[in-house]
Amino acid sequence: MEDFLELTVSATASGCIYALMALSYLIVLRPTSIINFAIGEWAATGAFVGVGVLTTLLWPRLDAPYPVAVAIVLVVLGLLGWAVERLTVRPLVKRGAPVTSPILALLGVLVIFRETLTLLFGADPFPSPPPLGYRRLEIGPFAGAPQQFFIIAVTLTIFAGVWYFFERTVWGRAFEAVAINRRAAALMGINLGRVTALAFAAGAAVAGMAGLLISPLTSAHYMMGLPLAIQGFTALVIGGVGRVEGALLGGLILAFAEQLGARYLPIPSGLTLAFPFSLLILFLLLRPTGLIAPREVR
Amino acid sequence: MIRTFIWIAAIIAASAIAFVLGGYATDVYRKMLIWIALALSYNFLFGTAGQVAFSHFAFAGVGAYGVVILSTKLGLPFGIAFIGAMALCALIAFIVAVPSTRLEGFYLALATLAFAQLFTVLINEGGDLTGGTGGIAGYSLPSIFGLQLRGPWYTVVLVLLVAGTLLLLNRLDNSSFGRACRAIRENPAVAAAMGINVRRTKVITFTLTSTLAGLAGIAYAYTDNVINPPVFGLENVFLLLFMIIVGGMGRPLGAVVGAILLYLAPFFLEPIVGHGYLVIFGILVVLAILYQPAGLAGLIDRGLGLLRPRSQS
Amino acid sequence: MIHTRFASAMAIAAGLLAGSLPLVQTAAAQDVIKIGVITDRVGSGKFYAEPVTRGIELGTKIINEKGGVLGKKIQLIIEDDQNRPDVSAAKARKLVDDGVVAILSNTGSPATQQAQTVSLETKTPHLTPANSADTLTTQLDNPWFFQTGPLASIQLATLMSYTKSRGFKKVAIVRDNSSLSQSFAESFRKGLEGVGIQVALEEVIPQGATSAVANLQKVRAEKVDAILQAGILGPEMLQFFRAYQQLGMKEPILGSYNLSIPAYLTMAKDLMDGVVFVDAYDDTKPEAKVFHDIYLKEYKEEPSSLPAYGWDGIHLIAAAITKAGSLDKEKIRAALASTQNFTGAIGAKGTSWSFRDGKRTGFDPQGAVVRVIKNNQHGPVVHAGQK
Repeated sequence: MEDFLELTVSATASGCIYALMALSYLIVLRPTSIINFAIGEWAATGAFVGVGVLTTLLWPRLDAPYPVAVAIVLVVLGLLGWAVERLTVRPLVKRGAPVTSPILALLGVLVIFRETLTLLFGADPFPSPPPLGYRRLEIGPFAGAPQQFFIIAVTLTIFAGVWYFFERTVWGRAFEAVAINRRAAALMGINLGRVTALAFAAGAAVAGMAGLLISPLTSAHYMMGLPLAIQGFTALVIGGVGRVEGALLGGLILAFAEQLGARYLPIPSGLTLAFPFSLLILFLLLRPTGLIAPREVR
Repeated sequence: MIRTFIWIAAIIAASAIAFVLGGYATDVYRKMLIWIALALSYNFLFGTAGQVAFSHFAFAGVGAYGVVILSTKLGLPFGIAFIGAMALCALIAFIVAVPSTRLEGFYLALATLAFAQLFTVLINEGGDLTGGTGGIAGYSLPSIFGLQLRGPWYTVVLVLLVAGTLLLLNRLDNSSFGRACRAIRENPAVAAAMGINVRRTKVITFTLTSTLAGLAGIAYAYTDNVINPPVFGLENVFLLLFMIIVGGMGRPLGAVVGAILLYLAPFFLEPIVGHGYLVIFGILVVLAILYQPAGLAGLIDRGLGLLRPRSQS
Repeated sequence: MIHTRFASAMAIAAGLLAGSLPLVQTAAAQDVIKIGVITDRVGSGKFYAEPVTRGIELGTKIINEKGGVLGKKIQLIIEDDQNRPDVSAAKARKLVDDGVVAILSNTGSPATQQAQTVSLETKTPHLTPANSADTLTTQLDNPWFFQTGPLASIQLATLMSYTKSRGFKKVAIVRDNSSLSQSFAESFRKGLEGVGIQVALEEVIPQGATSAVANLQKVRAEKVDAILQAGILGPEMLQFFRAYQQLGMKEPILGSYNLSIPAYLTMAKDLMDGVVFVDAYDDTKPEAKVFHDIYLKEYKEEPSSLPAYGWDGIHLIAAAITKAGSLDKEKIRAALASTQNFTGAIGAKGTSWSFRDGKRTGFDPQGAVVRVIKNNQHGPVVHAGQK
């Protein structure tokens, strides 16, 4: 039982990271129909920016407090997301290119980001200081690392914020309207370009936060992006691309399946890697809409 | 008649190169030919038929591992191992294609990516059968009737592989099947209304091109007489995709030019910019999609158009 | 139209190749001795390949300052293979075309393996000074290939001899899914089962994992006597140490020579106290001191053990060329193969390398040492050899 409770904390924290990645996909995907693979590298960028601000990497002897790092990650990544949309996606959308064109262009962006990180920081992993230190922390019956509890708390806050945005604000409604019918939304006077730009900025900021949050556990390194991108879309496919809650649910299901499988299934440990990919294939084939179906067009 | 002559001349020229190259140049040339063969079949799948799949190198791996395991681990004669590996490729491709071609747009990419990753896990953890991460080494092509394909003659085999792939895909491209593929790429609903069996066309395309990838994989297995997992991973699929985008989607010429350029470029760029050449590749891809969707093939067309009087083109 | 385009494309290919690559190798007058190095400057093996290459460069500089070999200076030709096996083989061919008399491979094991097909075919002496996979000399019968890195099997035997008095009966192996880690785990398992110790489980922390709690819970549940740490990838092993601490585990950790890489000490700061690991470097050995002082003077920083492998590698090749008395590759190979009692900076005090009984692995079975991490520092040598 102790094992299960420890595993619950670990899997929930991992699931939250996957959920943030899925959310980043979703924020861009809903209004634009674009699957943006580059978010894995944006998460890595967020991790490096955070480490740079928090440690002496950028400014010697100036270790910034954590909230400053969070703010800088959000702003820098938001700007990067916005710039990428301006430079690569908007011209294609304006030209009326097929939807695969921006998706492929973003694969190019992925490589540009990753290799730039490699050139800037080299291949060595950078340790990232956690805001709450390391030790075994017990909250009620649950035991984990402080960072794991921190990840869970921050993720739930972000999800609550995004949910509120989509459900309760005019801008969120505009996003939904664009998602349901682009042309009708444009006729209603919604500025499609602005919605798309905002989607990219917000998606990048969320991915950057995911990278910053996970970096104390994995360190910041140039290989971290692709696995996060893959875990994120697996979570997205499981939860469904329609609703914010789906991303959270998908992330948690994936992480629990992974870690409970690794812990309790009697198969060689090396083969547990195959587990998330099998899950992804199964969901794509059997339930392509995911667990939570999108809202019906009204 | 003239076409046949040009074909034969091109094949002879490409083969003749093999006999004058030094060791290093031969190695580079051979691997380039394999990249071209892979790019050609991938171009048909992705460029002509519009299926964004990330499994092409996995199928090359199925071919390579298939033929080596069947011939060295199971001791089958080479001919049977070869046919067996091709059949295995076709079978697995068919099994993957039937459900996954049902998926819309980019979800096919996700499913094939999952399949490719699954394949990598299996060859890495395959124990003695696949040699694990160390792969399999120490085998070679058997001699057939006392003759062994070695040195430049093996390069000729690779030239024939490229020529064969190109001939087959060209014929297909210009047939009603090729037109059906393009119609589906442009608009599946319209294609279906035109009486095209969309599912069947997609499944056939995926199975055929993936089997061709397997053939190239078999050829690769006997280039260095070593196979190991890193070659069949995700990185190379990205490169293949980039070759097609930069070269020009849906055009065999584009596949050839893109493969040659992106395969050779690192050899020149790396001493100057180190790993930075990948940033350059990324920028090239973005620029190609933004400003030159027809890729280098489009540029070559324009260049040739300027050189020639109008009546001939 | 398409057909003529194909022909023109082929012509472009031919032109590019003819223009860029030497068609026939011209034999230059040999006033220098060319030695090739294949390293990984950008790939996943960069963090160990680069320091080893640095040691080769330093060794070459010193050898040349002392008058070179056979009255000639050594010229290094360094090629980057990005830790990609297919590229590694291509680069080996390039080096052979460039006229090198020997090749040093400092890259991942699969890449070294694939480059071997070239050294075998072109009959070029080929040495890996740091690779430790046991399979490199067994997978392919290549008389031109030599290995002086501390074999995984020797590393394990050394660890086991250090812990003999504690009577381990049952252990766990933890690894990641990288190539080197897998081969380590395999050698460890074989060695352990050979001496009657049960491997209760082998856990894999895959690249990109976000938690190792499940893996270490399984280890904890098995109540093993010790954990053999065969991981290579930094981020994944960091999670191993985190989970170990978080789960309050006390099982002794025994690590491969990978843990001798200093980067771990900063990356997993405060997490590695008491970890036992194998090293092949004893800084109190006279030959190691010589290397240490020269390195410190040249680069103004303390060397880790990694450059010492490269330093030894180039010295071994130089000694073989001197012994061969010519630049004939077959003579150099024969001289290398007959190396006896070569003492370098690597290896425990009083041990040396020999290629005995036709074996092409030269590391002295008694040459590995054991150290313990304390206060985020590599402690002194506490044990040497496997007796």
